[in-house]
Amino acid sequence: MSAVTHDVVVIGGGMSGLMASAYLAGKGFKTALISQGDPVCCLSTGCVDVLSPGTHPLEGFDGLPPGHPYRLVGRKGIEDGCRLFKEIMATTTIPYAGTVRKNREILTPIGTFKTTCLVPLTMTGAEGCRDGYTHVISFNGLRDFYPSYITSRLKNTGFSLYDAGITSTLGIATRFEDKAFLEAFIAWIEGLEIPPGKVALPAVLGIQSPVQIMEEISRRIGSEVFEIPTLPPSIPGLRLFRALKGALTARGGDLYWGKAVGSVECRGSMVEAVTLATQGRPSRVQGRAFILATGSFVSGGLFARIDTVNETVFDLPVYVPGPRKDWFWNDFFTAGHPIEKAGIEVDGSLRPTRSDLKNLFVCGSILAHGEIMKNHCGHGLAIATGLKAARICEGFLS
Amino acid sequence: MTFEHCVRCTICVENCPVYKVEPLFPGPKQSGPDAQRFRLDGEKSVDQWVKYCCQCRRCEVACPYGVQVAEIILKAQLKYGEEHLSPFSSHLFANAYHLEAIGSTLAPLFNRVAALSLTKKAMSLFGISGELDLPAFRFLNLERGRRRKGRGRKVVFFYGCHLNFNRPDIGTGIRDLLVSMGCRVVMPPQTCCGLPALGNGDLDMARKYANKNASVLTSYIDRGFDVVYACTSCGLSLVQDYPGILDVEGGRKIAENTYNVHEYILSLIQQGSVKIPLGILERKIAYHIPCHLRALGIGYPATKLFKLIDGLQVSVLEDHCCGMAGTYGFKKRNQNTAARLGEIASGAIRGLGVDAVVADCGACRMQLEHFTGLPALDPSEIIREALQNSPEHRGKTEKGIVRWWRGIKDARHAARTLPAWPRR
Repeated sequence: MSAVTHDVVVIGGGMSGLMASAYLAGKGFKTALISQGDPVCCLSTGCVDVLSPGTHPLEGFDGLPPGHPYRLVGRKGIEDGCRLFKEIMATTTIPYAGTVRKNREILTPIGTFKTTCLVPLTMTGAEGCRDGYTHVISFNGLRDFYPSYITSRLKNTGFSLYDAGITSTLGIATRFEDKAFLEAFIAWIEGLEIPPGKVALPAVLGIQSPVQIMEEISRRIGSEVFEIPTLPPSIPGLRLFRALKGALTARGGDLYWGKAVGSVECRGSMVEAVTLATQGRPSRVQGRAFILATGSFVSGGLFARIDTVNETVFDLPVYVPGPRKDWFWNDFFTAGHPIEKAGIEVDGSLRPTRSDLKNLFVCGSILAHGEIMKNHCGHGLAIATGLKAARICEGFLS
Repeated sequence: MTFEHCVRCTICVENCPVYKVEPLFPGPKQSGPDAQRFRLDGEKSVDQWVKYCCQCRRCEVACPYGVQVAEIILKAQLKYGEEHLSPFSSHLFANAYHLEAIGSTLAPLFNRVAALSLTKKAMSLFGISGELDLPAFRFLNLERGRRRKGRGRKVVFFYGCHLNFNRPDIGTGIRDLLVSMGCRVVMPPQTCCGLPALGNGDLDMARKYANKNASVLTSYIDRGFDVVYACTSCGLSLVQDYPGILDVEGGRKIAENTYNVHEYILSLIQQGSVKIPLGILERKIAYHIPCHLRALGIGYPATKLFKLIDGLQVSVLEDHCCGMAGTYGFKKRNQNTAARLGEIASGAIRGLGVDAVVADCGACRMQLEHFTGLPALDPSEIIREALQNSPEHRGKTEKGIVRWWRGIKDARHAARTLPAWPRR
């Protein structure tokens, strides 16, 4: 009943779905985004890994297996995706730095450095902090962030603790949005007499306007300030998600949040509508084209049974790497599990192969052969394939 | 989905408004699925922190696995409420309907007495916050007004307590809007939806209210009526709680035949049965999405109507809970939490340079009007304003919608000075 036909209906509110829908909404298409809950990117560090962890993000591109989704978008597609992502983020309060030409370094909560491609502006200060003194500031009672991990690993560092009156990352980040709290915090740092150098904090400098808060502290104390990503609940992940979602609504996209797709209506080889499983009368969302970006196992796009894997919305055929006994190795972090290859196989225009649906395009981590953990390509793959799907959709609709 | 489906990812925690500002609340994950693993049927509940949950249900909307976090907490709240002496304010607010009926009957007097500082001091003894003004009550409420109007499509309007006792002008406006679209609108005798009673730990009371409404509504549904609600919290109660936790007879039937008013108007437009001649409206508004509209999972139908209005600039804000959460913010225990959340939500609005805040929920409107200082409107008021500006309506003698809109505008003006019913 609540159906008003959309040009595009994107299913899945993660990085890939948000990118695709923001792009299409920006092009003037009537776009709807359906998501059962908030995406996994809320739990991420907010940084965008593209591919290789070395100095050049795309140096491992030629080594990718032939079926890898990156092969479908190509180097240019990855570059375009990252550029568009940065453009979209620049219109929000969470701008990003970095290019696909060179990886950047960020500091981790255990005092090691991690390379990544695109970095939120609040974390860029970590580059070059090996050269001088870095003072880590943490908060009384803040769980899962121990500055002594950093000070014991990195030379030329020290730390202090501030009492924020609340012990969660979310609570502290919320307090930083408050002017009076920020003033008191700055006054406290000024009284510390820290040696000249940089100041590092866990990523709690506000939710809405972190760059503004970081610059204010930096300006007042006269030294560079940067953030260190934390374990979930991760504020940079939350900021990234909210900013992208805000970019979509600002471009006129419609949101259907919190309910899963219950059923699908097809006529011939065209998907006509999906129905949301609400408690009351099912809510129907019609569209001319559909983008499937429901993610992999963790996000609920794929569901594993004892010996099979199902795709949860359209029940598309899923590529599975052999029987269950072949799904897992002992070593997870270096080689990844073979089951990570599971997903939807697509043709060059991101339509699922082994299915006759003409107006359905698939993107993001639900694509087969992605092996995100092994290839360090989570957000990068989501962004690049999301843009590709959106562009194909654009061509399909016009 | 039960607590066993929770993978402890903390996405619900990231979305909890109370956890953001109240150090005593351990968040939806810990007080919901985590604690549920330790709650035994025969044991007395010990987790007193569940009372800090405001039941905005953001956790449920955010959960990627569909775990009903808020419902787990609600059940724990009800159990805690049963086993422990609940504060007097909870009993009062559970009976909000009767209190408001008294307030409405004694309206001019009640409003003046409620505004006295002595009354506020007395109320704070009962655990009611003295910081916020109680909403002004109207004597000529919807119950005392015209209950049937128009002809055509059969619609039952479930208006809810706030529109009934505090803002009958919006209620009659929505009634006339539906009438102008070819609906026969009936407003049968109805009582509180039961949500305040549920939120204040009184399941029996909530069931009593719900059963009363259910018998009326189902009798109309059987005669081919559609149920339309304007208040999103009432709507959530009808759609989710009636067949769910309250388990009232005919709950499923009600859930399946109940529509949000803007969703209903959209469906009328979609079916081609009506054309609404919306005029140009040069306004910049912030549309604050009430938490319970999100929880309904029907999208944001009013935004689609706003898109049909030329000149209207809308900023959709959906990441903030206003903190009022029905009767939650009126309790002294929660007043700091509510005030902080109200500050955060209105801070996001202030930066936008808008001339009005729009929200579907009466409690949100009260809170945001208080904190932003901007007029807070119902989406239907914006639509009626656009209708008034349409060339088809302009120049005609004041009839129907236009007359009502005049009346409402006058009433809004009058409401700032004295509690009064719209002048005709």
